[in-house]
Amino acid sequence: MKHALVSDIHGNLEALTAVLTDIEKHKVDFIHCLGDVVGYGPDPAACLKMIDRSCDTKLMGNHEFTALGLQSSSIFNNAARAAVKWTQMQLTDNDMAIMADFEMDRTLDNMYLVHASPLEPEQWHYVFNEEEAVAAFQNLKTEIGFMGHSHLPLIFSEGPGERIRSQAGHTFQVGDESRYLINVGSVGQPRDNDRRACYVVFDTDEGDVFYHRVEYDIDAAQQKMATAGLPEVLISRLAAGL
Amino acid sequence: MPEIVVKYEDKVIERIVTEKKRISVGRTNDNDVVLENRGVSRKHAMIEFNDNAAVVIDNESLNGTFVNNRKISEEVLRDEDVITIGKYSLVYNSQTTRDQDGGTGFDGTMVLNTKAQKKLLENDSIERQIVEKYGGSVLLGMENSSFAEFRLEREVTTIGKAKFVHVQAKGFWLSGIQAKIIREEYGYSLVNLGKQGKTQVNGEPVNSAVLKNGDLITVGKTTFKFVEGKTP
Repeated sequence: MKHALVSDIHGNLEALTAVLTDIEKHKVDFIHCLGDVVGYGPDPAACLKMIDRSCDTKLMGNHEFTALGLQSSSIFNNAARAAVKWTQMQLTDNDMAIMADFEMDRTLDNMYLVHASPLEPEQWHYVFNEEEAVAAFQNLKTEIGFMGHSHLPLIFSEGPGERIRSQAGHTFQVGDESRYLINVGSVGQPRDNDRRACYVVFDTDEGDVFYHRVEYDIDAAQQKMATAGLPEVLISRLAAGL
Repeated sequence: MPEIVVKYEDKVIERIVTEKKRISVGRTNDNDVVLENRGVSRKHAMIEFNDNAAVVIDNESLNGTFVNNRKISEEVLRDEDVITIGKYSLVYNSQTTRDQDGGTGFDGTMVLNTKAQKKLLENDSIERQIVEKYGGSVLLGMENSSFAEFRLEREVTTIGKAKFVHVQAKGFWLSGIQAKIIREEYGYSLVNLGKQGKTQVNGEPVNSAVLKNGDLITVGKTTFKFVEGKTP
Protein backbone atom coordinates (compact mmCIF):
# COMPACT_ATOMS: atom_id res chain seq x y z
CA MET A 1 0.00 0.00 0.00
CA LYS A 2 1.14 3.53 -0.78
CA HIS A 3 0.25 6.36 1.57
CA ALA A 4 0.75 10.05 0.75
CA LEU A 5 1.16 12.32 3.78
CA VAL A 6 0.57 16.06 3.53
CA SER A 7 0.60 18.64 6.31
CA ASP A 8 0.66 22.37 7.07
CA ILE A 9 -1.01 23.61 3.91
CA HIS A 10 -1.90 26.92 5.59
CA GLY A 11 -4.34 28.23 3.02
CA ASN A 12 -1.85 28.01 0.15
CA LEU A 13 -4.05 26.74 -2.68
CA GLU A 14 -1.31 27.02 -5.34
CA ALA A 15 0.99 24.75 -3.32
CA LEU A 16 -1.80 22.29 -2.44
CA THR A 17 -2.98 22.00 -6.04
CA ALA A 18 0.59 21.35 -7.23
CA VAL A 19 1.12 18.71 -4.54
CA LEU A 20 -2.15 16.86 -5.23
CA THR A 21 -1.29 16.82 -8.95
CA ASP A 22 2.15 15.41 -8.12
CA ILE A 23 0.62 12.77 -5.83
CA GLU A 24 -1.49 11.50 -8.75
CA LYS A 25 1.72 10.43 -10.52
CA HIS A 26 2.64 8.11 -7.68
CA LYS A 27 -0.62 6.13 -7.77
CA VAL A 28 -1.08 6.15 -4.01
CA ASP A 29 -3.87 4.22 -2.24
CA PHE A 30 -4.48 6.78 0.49
CA ILE A 31 -3.89 10.46 1.14
CA HIS A 32 -3.63 11.54 4.77
CA CYS A 33 -3.71 15.18 5.84
CA LEU A 34 -1.96 15.86 9.15
CA GLY A 35 -3.59 19.22 9.88
CA ASP A 36 -3.13 23.00 9.64
CA VAL A 37 -5.04 23.32 6.39
CA VAL A 38 -5.86 26.94 7.32
CA GLY A 39 -3.97 29.90 8.79
CA TYR A 40 -1.39 32.25 7.20
CA GLY A 41 -2.45 31.80 3.56
CA PRO A 42 -5.07 33.48 1.35
CA ASP A 43 -7.33 30.50 0.49
CA PRO A 44 -8.36 28.72 3.70
CA ALA A 45 -11.89 27.84 2.53
CA ALA A 46 -10.82 26.48 -0.86
CA CYS A 47 -8.04 24.43 0.74
CA LEU A 48 -10.48 22.99 3.30
CA LYS A 49 -12.86 21.88 0.56
CA MET A 50 -10.05 20.37 -1.51
CA ILE A 51 -8.62 18.46 1.46
CA ASP A 52 -12.11 17.32 2.49
CA ARG A 53 -12.71 15.89 -1.00
CA SER A 54 -9.34 14.29 -1.65
CA CYS A 55 -8.04 12.99 1.68
CA ASP A 56 -8.82 9.73 3.49
CA THR A 57 -7.60 11.06 6.82
CA LYS A 58 -8.17 14.61 7.99
CA LEU A 59 -6.45 15.52 11.23
CA MET A 60 -6.89 18.55 13.42
CA GLY A 61 -4.06 21.08 13.60
CA ASN A 62 -3.62 23.87 16.10
CA HIS A 63 -4.73 26.39 13.44
CA GLU A 64 -8.04 24.53 12.96
CA PHE A 65 -8.44 24.41 16.74
CA THR A 66 -7.89 28.16 16.96
CA ALA A 67 -10.13 28.96 13.97
CA LEU A 68 -12.91 26.95 15.66
CA GLY A 69 -12.43 29.15 18.71
CA LEU A 70 -11.37 26.27 20.95
CA GLN A 71 -8.20 27.93 22.15
CA SER A 72 -7.02 31.48 22.45
CA SER A 73 -4.93 32.96 19.63
CA SER A 74 -2.82 34.79 22.23
CA ILE A 75 -0.22 32.00 22.04
CA PHE A 76 0.56 33.03 18.44
CA ASN A 77 2.91 35.83 17.40
CA ASN A 78 1.43 39.06 15.99
CA ALA A 79 1.54 38.07 12.32
CA ALA A 80 0.03 34.65 13.00
CA ARG A 81 -2.67 36.18 15.18
CA ALA A 82 -3.60 38.65 12.46
CA ALA A 83 -3.80 35.72 10.04
CA VAL A 84 -6.02 33.76 12.46
CA LYS A 85 -8.50 36.64 12.65
CA TRP A 86 -8.46 37.11 8.88
CA THR A 87 -8.93 33.36 8.37
CA GLN A 88 -11.92 33.20 10.74
CA MET A 89 -13.64 35.92 8.72
CA GLN A 90 -13.22 33.93 5.48
CA LEU A 91 -14.81 30.76 6.81
CA THR A 92 -18.51 29.97 6.51
CA ASP A 93 -20.52 27.73 8.83
CA ASN A 94 -19.98 24.91 6.33
CA ASP A 95 -16.21 25.42 6.41
CA MET A 96 -16.37 25.33 10.20
CA ALA A 97 -18.33 22.08 10.01
CA ILE A 98 -15.61 20.54 7.80
CA MET A 99 -12.98 21.37 10.43
CA ALA A 100 -15.24 20.22 13.26
CA ASP A 101 -15.03 16.71 11.82
CA PHE A 102 -11.21 16.54 11.79
CA GLU A 103 -9.75 13.83 14.04
CA MET A 104 -7.06 14.42 16.64
CA ASP A 105 -4.98 11.42 15.62
CA ARG A 106 -5.29 8.10 13.84
CA THR A 107 -3.69 4.67 14.02
CA LEU A 108 -3.59 2.54 10.85
CA ASP A 109 -2.00 -0.87 11.43
CA ASN A 110 1.57 -0.01 12.46
CA MET A 111 1.30 3.66 11.45
CA TYR A 112 0.36 6.51 13.76
CA LEU A 113 -0.73 9.86 12.33
CA VAL A 114 -0.84 13.09 14.33
CA HIS A 115 -0.32 16.82 13.77
CA ALA A 116 2.15 17.62 16.57
CA SER A 117 4.03 15.44 19.06
CA PRO A 118 2.37 12.12 20.00
CA LEU A 119 2.80 13.41 23.56
CA GLU A 120 -0.58 14.99 24.39
CA PRO A 121 -1.69 15.67 20.78
CA GLU A 122 -4.10 18.47 21.70
CA GLN A 123 -1.32 20.33 23.52
CA TRP A 124 0.52 20.76 20.20
CA HIS A 125 4.05 20.14 21.49
CA TYR A 126 6.85 20.61 18.95
CA VAL A 127 9.50 17.99 18.22
CA PHE A 128 12.53 19.96 17.03
CA ASN A 129 15.35 17.87 18.51
CA GLU A 130 16.33 14.52 20.02
CA GLU A 131 15.51 15.73 23.51
CA GLU A 132 11.92 16.57 22.59
CA ALA A 133 11.71 13.30 20.68
CA VAL A 134 12.18 11.25 23.87
CA ALA A 135 8.71 11.96 25.25
CA ALA A 136 7.29 11.74 21.74
CA PHE A 137 8.66 8.21 21.29
CA GLN A 138 7.38 7.20 24.73
CA ASN A 139 3.89 8.07 23.53
CA LEU A 140 4.27 6.51 20.09
CA LYS A 141 2.59 3.10 20.25
CA THR A 142 3.39 2.00 16.70
CA GLU A 143 6.57 1.30 14.75
CA ILE A 144 6.28 4.41 12.64
CA GLY A 145 4.66 7.76 13.27
CA PHE A 146 4.07 10.69 10.92
CA MET A 147 3.59 14.27 12.07
CA GLY A 148 3.80 17.89 10.89
CA HIS A 149 3.55 21.14 12.88
CA SER A 150 7.18 22.40 12.81
CA HIS A 151 7.28 22.68 8.97
CA LEU A 152 10.72 21.00 9.13
CA PRO A 153 11.19 17.71 7.26
CA LEU A 154 12.96 15.65 9.92
CA ILE A 155 13.44 11.95 10.58
CA PHE A 156 13.75 10.81 14.19
CA SER A 157 14.78 7.18 14.65
CA GLU A 158 15.28 4.97 17.67
CA GLY A 159 17.17 1.70 17.28
CA PRO A 160 17.33 -1.03 19.96
CA GLY A 161 19.66 0.12 22.72
CA GLU A 162 20.53 3.27 20.77
CA ARG A 163 20.00 6.96 21.43
CA ILE A 164 17.40 8.77 19.37
CA ARG A 165 18.90 10.25 16.18
CA SER A 166 17.54 13.06 14.03
CA GLN A 167 18.31 13.63 10.37
CA ALA A 168 17.09 16.05 7.73
CA GLY A 169 14.28 14.55 5.71
CA HIS A 170 15.49 12.35 2.86
CA THR A 171 14.29 9.29 0.99
CA PHE A 172 15.23 6.10 2.86
CA GLN A 173 14.10 2.59 3.73
CA VAL A 174 12.88 1.80 7.24
CA GLY A 175 14.88 -0.84 9.16
CA ASP A 176 13.22 -3.79 10.88
CA GLU A 177 14.67 -3.09 14.29
CA SER A 178 14.04 0.66 14.53
CA ARG A 179 11.14 2.91 15.29
CA TYR A 180 10.57 6.17 13.42
CA LEU A 181 8.88 9.49 13.95
CA ILE A 182 8.81 11.35 10.68
CA ASN A 183 7.97 14.99 10.10
CA VAL A 184 6.53 15.23 6.60
CA GLY A 185 7.37 18.93 6.19
CA SER A 186 4.99 21.61 5.00
CA VAL A 187 3.01 21.95 1.78
CA GLY A 188 2.16 25.63 2.06
CA GLN A 189 4.92 27.25 4.10
CA PRO A 190 8.21 25.26 4.11
CA ARG A 191 10.78 26.48 6.64
CA ASP A 192 13.88 24.44 5.75
CA ASN A 193 15.37 26.96 3.31
CA ASP A 194 13.74 25.15 0.41
CA ARG A 195 10.80 27.08 -0.96
CA ARG A 196 9.28 24.08 -2.76
CA ALA A 197 6.20 22.39 -1.30
CA CYS A 198 7.05 19.26 0.70
CA TYR A 199 5.21 15.97 1.24
CA VAL A 200 5.95 12.29 1.87
CA VAL A 201 4.90 8.99 0.29
CA PHE A 202 5.25 5.85 2.43
CA ASP A 203 5.23 2.50 0.64
CA THR A 204 4.35 -0.10 3.29
CA ASP A 205 5.25 -3.08 1.03
CA GLU A 206 8.84 -1.99 0.49
CA GLY A 207 9.22 0.06 3.66
CA ASP A 208 10.28 3.06 1.58
CA VAL A 209 9.81 6.64 2.72
CA PHE A 210 10.03 9.16 -0.13
CA TYR A 211 10.33 12.89 0.41
CA HIS A 212 9.00 14.86 -2.54
CA ARG A 213 9.53 18.55 -3.30
CA VAL A 214 7.26 20.32 -5.75
CA GLU A 215 7.62 23.71 -7.45
CA TYR A 216 4.47 25.82 -7.42
CA ASP A 217 3.43 29.35 -8.43
CA ILE A 218 4.73 31.25 -5.41
CA ASP A 219 4.20 34.63 -7.12
CA ALA A 220 0.48 33.95 -7.50
CA ALA A 221 0.18 32.91 -3.84
CA GLN A 222 2.07 36.01 -2.70
CA GLN A 223 -0.03 38.26 -4.91
CA LYS A 224 -3.23 36.93 -3.34
CA MET A 225 -1.81 37.43 0.16
CA ALA A 226 -0.93 41.03 -0.62
CA THR A 227 -4.41 41.67 -2.01
CA ALA A 228 -5.93 40.17 1.12
CA GLY A 229 -3.77 42.46 3.25
CA LEU A 230 -2.04 39.62 5.10
CA PRO A 231 1.14 40.55 7.03
CA GLU A 232 4.25 41.19 4.89
CA VAL A 233 6.40 38.83 6.93
CA LEU A 234 4.12 35.92 5.98
CA ILE A 235 4.29 36.88 2.30
CA SER A 236 8.07 37.19 2.03
CA ARG A 237 8.88 33.96 3.87
CA LEU A 238 7.25 31.84 1.12
CA ALA A 239 9.92 32.85 -1.41
CA ALA A 240 12.72 32.22 1.07
CA GLY A 241 11.35 28.93 2.39
CA LEU A 242 11.70 29.89 6.04
CA MET B 1 -66.71 24.26 37.16
CA PRO B 2 -64.13 26.05 39.29
CA GLU B 3 -60.47 25.18 38.92
CA ILE B 4 -57.28 25.51 40.92
CA VAL B 5 -54.03 25.85 39.00
CA VAL B 6 -51.05 24.70 41.08
CA LYS B 7 -47.72 26.31 40.24
CA TYR B 8 -44.24 25.80 41.54
CA GLU B 9 -41.88 28.65 40.74
CA ASP B 10 -44.07 29.75 37.82
CA LYS B 11 -44.29 26.27 36.34
CA VAL B 12 -47.79 24.89 36.15
CA ILE B 13 -47.61 21.46 37.72
CA GLU B 14 -51.23 20.57 38.18
CA ARG B 15 -54.64 21.81 37.16
CA ILE B 16 -57.51 20.71 39.35
CA VAL B 17 -61.08 20.87 38.14
CA THR B 18 -63.35 19.36 40.73
CA GLU B 19 -66.99 18.66 41.53
CA LYS B 20 -66.12 18.19 45.16
CA LYS B 21 -67.48 20.64 47.67
CA ARG B 22 -64.21 20.76 49.55
CA ILE B 23 -60.59 19.89 48.80
CA SER B 24 -57.76 19.54 51.26
CA VAL B 25 -54.26 20.91 50.67
CA GLY B 26 -51.16 19.63 52.51
CA ARG B 27 -47.87 17.78 52.50
CA THR B 28 -49.12 14.23 53.10
CA ASN B 29 -50.49 11.93 50.44
CA ASP B 30 -54.03 11.77 51.85
CA ASN B 31 -54.69 15.35 50.74
CA ASP B 32 -56.52 16.14 47.50
CA VAL B 33 -53.71 18.53 46.58
CA VAL B 34 -50.31 17.25 47.69
CA LEU B 35 -47.59 19.89 48.00
CA GLU B 36 -44.23 18.29 48.70
CA ASN B 37 -42.27 20.91 50.50
CA ARG B 38 -41.04 21.25 54.06
CA GLY B 39 -42.68 24.65 54.36
CA VAL B 40 -46.08 23.02 53.90
CA SER B 41 -47.93 21.53 56.90
CA ARG B 42 -49.37 18.00 56.76
CA LYS B 43 -52.93 19.40 56.69
CA HIS B 44 -52.25 22.92 55.61
CA ALA B 45 -55.51 24.35 54.28
CA MET B 46 -58.98 23.63 52.84
CA ILE B 47 -60.73 25.14 49.89
CA GLU B 48 -64.55 24.98 49.96
CA PHE B 49 -66.74 25.54 46.94
CA ASN B 50 -70.29 26.77 47.26
CA ASP B 51 -72.43 27.49 44.18
CA ASN B 52 -70.54 30.43 42.71
CA ALA B 53 -68.24 31.13 45.62
CA ALA B 54 -65.05 29.62 47.00
CA VAL B 55 -63.39 30.03 50.38
CA VAL B 56 -59.88 29.13 51.47
CA ILE B 57 -59.41 28.21 55.13
CA ASP B 58 -56.02 27.95 56.82
CA ASN B 59 -55.68 24.96 59.21
CA GLU B 60 -53.57 26.89 61.70
CA SER B 61 -50.57 25.93 59.60
CA LEU B 62 -47.05 26.67 60.83
CA ASN B 63 -46.00 28.87 57.92
CA GLY B 64 -49.41 30.28 57.08
CA THR B 65 -51.61 30.62 54.02
CA PHE B 66 -51.55 33.79 51.94
CA VAL B 67 -53.98 35.24 49.45
CA ASN B 68 -52.49 37.82 47.11
CA ASN B 69 -49.55 38.01 49.49
CA ARG B 70 -51.71 38.76 52.55
CA LYS B 71 -51.77 36.25 55.42
CA ILE B 72 -55.28 34.98 55.98
CA SER B 73 -57.15 32.55 58.21
CA GLU B 74 -60.24 32.45 56.05
CA GLU B 75 -60.83 34.31 52.81
CA VAL B 76 -63.46 34.39 50.06
CA LEU B 77 -61.74 33.91 46.72
CA ARG B 78 -62.22 36.05 43.64
CA ASP B 79 -61.20 35.13 40.10
CA GLU B 80 -57.46 34.89 39.65
CA ASP B 81 -56.69 35.22 43.34
CA VAL B 82 -53.34 33.68 44.18
CA ILE B 83 -53.06 31.47 47.24
CA THR B 84 -49.46 31.06 48.39
CA ILE B 85 -48.50 28.00 50.44
CA GLY B 86 -44.79 27.41 50.93
CA LYS B 87 -43.14 27.73 47.53
CA TYR B 88 -46.38 26.93 45.71
CA SER B 89 -49.01 29.23 44.29
CA LEU B 90 -52.57 28.08 43.72
CA VAL B 91 -54.51 30.24 41.30
CA TYR B 92 -58.30 30.18 41.68
CA ASN B 93 -60.56 30.46 38.65
CA SER B 94 -64.34 30.31 39.08
CA GLN B 95 -64.64 28.80 35.60
CA THR B 96 -62.32 26.37 33.84
CA THR B 97 -59.96 28.43 31.70
CA ARG B 98 -59.46 25.92 28.91
CA ASP B 99 -60.73 22.74 27.31
CA GLN B 100 -59.70 19.49 28.88
CA ASP B 101 -57.36 18.56 26.05
CA GLY B 102 -54.10 18.41 27.92
CA GLY B 103 -51.02 20.03 26.50
CA THR B 104 -50.17 23.58 27.29
CA GLY B 105 -51.87 25.67 29.92
CA PHE B 106 -53.53 29.02 29.57
CA ASP B 107 -50.23 30.88 29.79
CA GLY B 108 -48.38 28.58 27.43
CA THR B 109 -46.44 26.85 30.19
CA MET B 110 -46.26 23.10 30.40
CA VAL B 111 -48.90 21.25 32.34
CA LEU B 112 -47.44 18.25 34.07
CA ASN B 113 -49.13 15.30 35.68
CA THR B 114 -48.43 14.29 39.26
CA LYS B 115 -45.64 11.92 38.26
CA ALA B 116 -43.93 14.66 36.28
CA GLN B 117 -44.47 17.00 39.19
CA LYS B 118 -42.66 14.65 41.56
CA LYS B 119 -39.80 14.26 39.09
CA LEU B 120 -39.58 18.01 38.69
CA LEU B 121 -39.33 18.52 42.42
CA GLU B 122 -36.77 15.76 42.84
CA ASN B 123 -34.62 17.17 40.04
CA ASP B 124 -35.01 20.66 41.38
CA SER B 125 -33.71 19.62 44.75
CA ILE B 126 -30.83 17.64 43.18
CA GLU B 127 -29.87 20.61 41.01
CA ARG B 128 -29.85 22.94 43.98
CA GLN B 129 -27.61 20.56 45.91
CA ILE B 130 -25.17 20.25 43.00
CA VAL B 131 -24.90 23.97 42.46
CA GLU B 132 -24.59 24.64 46.21
CA LYS B 133 -21.83 22.06 46.50
CA TYR B 134 -19.86 23.29 43.47
CA GLY B 135 -20.83 26.95 43.20
CA GLY B 136 -20.34 27.09 39.41
CA SER B 137 -22.51 26.12 36.48
CA VAL B 138 -22.96 22.49 35.45
CA LEU B 139 -24.42 20.30 32.75
CA LEU B 140 -26.65 17.50 33.96
CA GLY B 141 -26.95 14.40 31.82
CA MET B 142 -30.63 13.86 30.94
CA GLU B 143 -30.67 11.45 27.98
CA ASN B 144 -27.93 9.23 26.48
CA SER B 145 -25.32 11.03 28.53
CA SER B 146 -22.14 9.39 29.77
CA PHE B 147 -22.23 11.42 32.98
CA ALA B 148 -24.72 12.67 35.57
CA GLU B 149 -22.98 15.96 36.18
CA PHE B 150 -20.30 17.91 34.31
CA ARG B 151 -18.75 21.07 35.70
CA LEU B 152 -18.30 23.89 33.24
CA GLU B 153 -14.96 25.05 34.57
CA ARG B 154 -13.16 25.59 31.25
CA GLU B 155 -13.28 28.69 29.13
CA VAL B 156 -14.35 26.50 26.23
CA THR B 157 -16.05 23.12 26.61
CA THR B 158 -16.36 21.00 23.47
CA ILE B 159 -19.29 18.65 22.79
CA GLY B 160 -19.35 16.01 20.07
CA LYS B 161 -18.66 12.43 19.15
CA ALA B 162 -14.85 12.67 18.81
CA LYS B 163 -12.83 10.95 21.50
CA PHE B 164 -10.95 14.11 22.40
CA VAL B 165 -13.91 16.39 23.18
CA HIS B 166 -14.78 17.23 26.78
CA VAL B 167 -18.41 16.13 26.61
CA GLN B 168 -19.40 13.08 24.58
CA ALA B 169 -22.63 13.11 22.60
CA LYS B 170 -24.24 10.31 20.60
CA GLY B 171 -25.64 10.33 17.08
CA PHE B 172 -24.37 8.84 13.82
CA TRP B 173 -24.45 12.09 11.81
CA LEU B 174 -22.85 14.19 14.48
CA SER B 175 -19.63 16.09 13.85
CA GLY B 176 -16.51 15.24 15.86
CA ILE B 177 -16.81 18.59 17.56
CA GLN B 178 -20.47 19.44 17.16
CA ALA B 179 -20.70 22.38 19.55
CA LYS B 180 -18.88 24.41 22.14
CA ILE B 181 -19.94 26.11 25.35
CA ILE B 182 -18.05 29.34 26.01
CA ARG B 183 -17.70 30.96 29.41
CA GLU B 184 -18.30 34.66 28.89
CA GLU B 185 -18.23 37.54 31.32
CA TYR B 186 -22.00 37.51 31.60
CA GLY B 187 -22.51 33.74 31.71
CA TYR B 188 -22.39 30.94 29.17
CA SER B 189 -23.18 30.69 25.50
CA LEU B 190 -23.58 27.69 23.22
CA VAL B 191 -22.27 27.72 19.63
CA ASN B 192 -22.87 25.11 16.94
CA LEU B 193 -19.66 24.25 15.06
CA GLY B 194 -20.55 21.08 13.19
CA LYS B 195 -23.40 20.07 10.91
CA GLN B 196 -26.41 22.37 10.92
CA GLY B 197 -29.46 21.52 13.01
CA LYS B 198 -27.72 19.06 15.33
CA THR B 199 -27.46 21.47 18.25
CA GLN B 200 -30.73 22.42 19.89
CA VAL B 201 -31.83 24.46 22.88
CA ASN B 202 -35.24 23.52 24.28
CA GLY B 203 -36.03 21.69 21.05
CA GLU B 204 -35.09 24.52 18.67
CA PRO B 205 -32.01 24.22 16.41
CA VAL B 206 -29.54 27.04 17.13
CA ASN B 207 -26.34 28.43 15.66
CA SER B 208 -25.60 30.19 18.91
CA ALA B 209 -27.54 30.95 22.07
CA VAL B 210 -27.00 32.51 25.46
CA LEU B 211 -27.79 29.80 28.00
CA LYS B 212 -30.41 30.32 30.68
CA ASN B 213 -30.83 28.30 33.84
CA GLY B 214 -32.79 25.13 33.10
CA ASP B 215 -32.20 25.18 29.31
CA LEU B 216 -32.23 21.74 27.73
CA ILE B 217 -29.30 21.35 25.34
CA THR B 218 -29.66 18.53 22.82
CA VAL B 219 -26.64 17.53 20.73
CA GLY B 220 -27.56 14.67 18.40
CA LYS B 221 -29.33 12.13 20.58
CA THR B 222 -27.88 13.34 23.85
CA THR B 223 -29.61 15.85 26.10
CA PHE B 224 -28.13 17.89 28.92
CA LYS B 225 -29.66 20.41 31.25
CA PHE B 226 -27.79 23.63 31.89
CA VAL B 227 -27.91 24.61 35.56
CA GLU B 228 -26.49 28.01 36.28
CA GLY B 229 -24.27 28.40 39.32
CA LYS B 230 -23.67 31.43 41.45
CA THR B 231 -20.51 32.47 39.62
CA PRO B 232 -19.92 32.13 35.89
